[in-house]
Amino acid sequence: MTSALSPDDDLLAAEYVLGVQDSETRAGLDKRVRREPLFAGAVTDWENRLGGLNDAYDAVPAPDLLAKIEARLFPSAPVAARRRFSWFGVISGLATAAALVVAVVIVTVPPQAPLAPLLTTLAAADLVYEVRADGQTLQVTRVSGNPAPAGEVHELWVIAPGASPVSLGLLADATLTVAYPTPPAGFALAISVEPAGGSPRGLPSGPVIATQLISG
Amino acid sequence: MSDPDPVADLLSRVAAQDRAAFRELYATTSAKLMGVLVRMLRERAEAEDAVQEVYTRIWLRAGRYDPAKGRGMTWMIAVARNLALDRLRRRTDEQADENAAEALVDQTPTAERRLMAMGEAARVSSCFDQLEPSKADAVRGAYLSGLSYIELAMRHNVPLNTMRTWLRRSLISLKECLDQ
Repeated sequence: MTSALSPDDDLLAAEYVLGVQDSETRAGLDKRVRREPLFAGAVTDWENRLGGLNDAYDAVPAPDLLAKIEARLFPSAPVAARRRFSWFGVISGLATAAALVVAVVIVTVPPQAPLAPLLTTLAAADLVYEVRADGQTLQVTRVSGNPAPAGEVHELWVIAPGASPVSLGLLADATLTVAYPTPPAGFALAISVEPAGGSPRGLPSGPVIATQLISG
Repeated sequence: MSDPDPVADLLSRVAAQDRAAFRELYATTSAKLMGVLVRMLRERAEAEDAVQEVYTRIWLRAGRYDPAKGRGMTWMIAVARNLALDRLRRRTDEQADENAAEALVDQTPTAERRLMAMGEAARVSSCFDQLEPSKADAVRGAYLSGLSYIELAMRHNVPLNTMRTWLRRSLISLKECLDQ
């Protein structure tokens, strides 16, 4: 499975799974895991090899934190949940705007890309990203507007209701394909502008330029 | 992979947004993940905070888990370890490494060796036995407690580059042994 990966990269994957590297190296390899299926495969292989050590972790009864976790993931009142996010303030109206660009989107998609059903679009002024979902992957393509200026990058995030944003990857000229189920209604997608290489921490650090709530 | 894997089954239901499966997953796996987080973060309060973040990530990322590529619990522990490692490395960036290294002397490698002789860990245990004991301890300490290269070098009293060479050679031997 990892035969095409260099021995040095395979050792980097092993060190990454062990966790011995400093945070800067880890952050660089986090990105390779997201972008390079071969490297991600090597990481999975090492997780399985070293997973034999997992028996040495003693079970420690956890307090019942389920209610707190569920409150983060599934707020009971969806309308109130929206207000919890300042980002949602900018969403209203975008859905209509998004609907208008769908026609443009379909004719400008590169012919070699397998066309999954269009899930939604993310738009800010003349910048438009289309998001397609086939249940296994999300495919995100810029269909209008310019990429981020030199030294910066657009980063894609998914936000479950009441939860923190989770990065799905960096948006370049080519279509970004990430293994991710189709986000259900109530989830949101967002794009932030980040320094080259992506946000240095696990959350958006730069301005959020587009958000889109997935509607039923 | 033909062994029954109830955690993998729960994860596939969680990927389909099944909240009942998520509750069952928490009930059956949270003690193990808590054990991982307590061991690595060495602070109960931080582990309790981290366990909430881990299950949030598991809900969001369950669709990325592929049962063909490994067992469900292995994947979940990898999610927990990654979060703990990110927090640990941020922590060591902020404080002197000596403090962290001093707190590590009271680990319990004897209990680990005993546990590793049992069950699924038997194969990995026999491969560890082929390594020199100090090198096997270094790999174990890195994996189980989340020690960095700097902390390992201090604990084993060798230069950083020596530790890196030790660990890389040990990893190559382990891979050869485990992939047989």
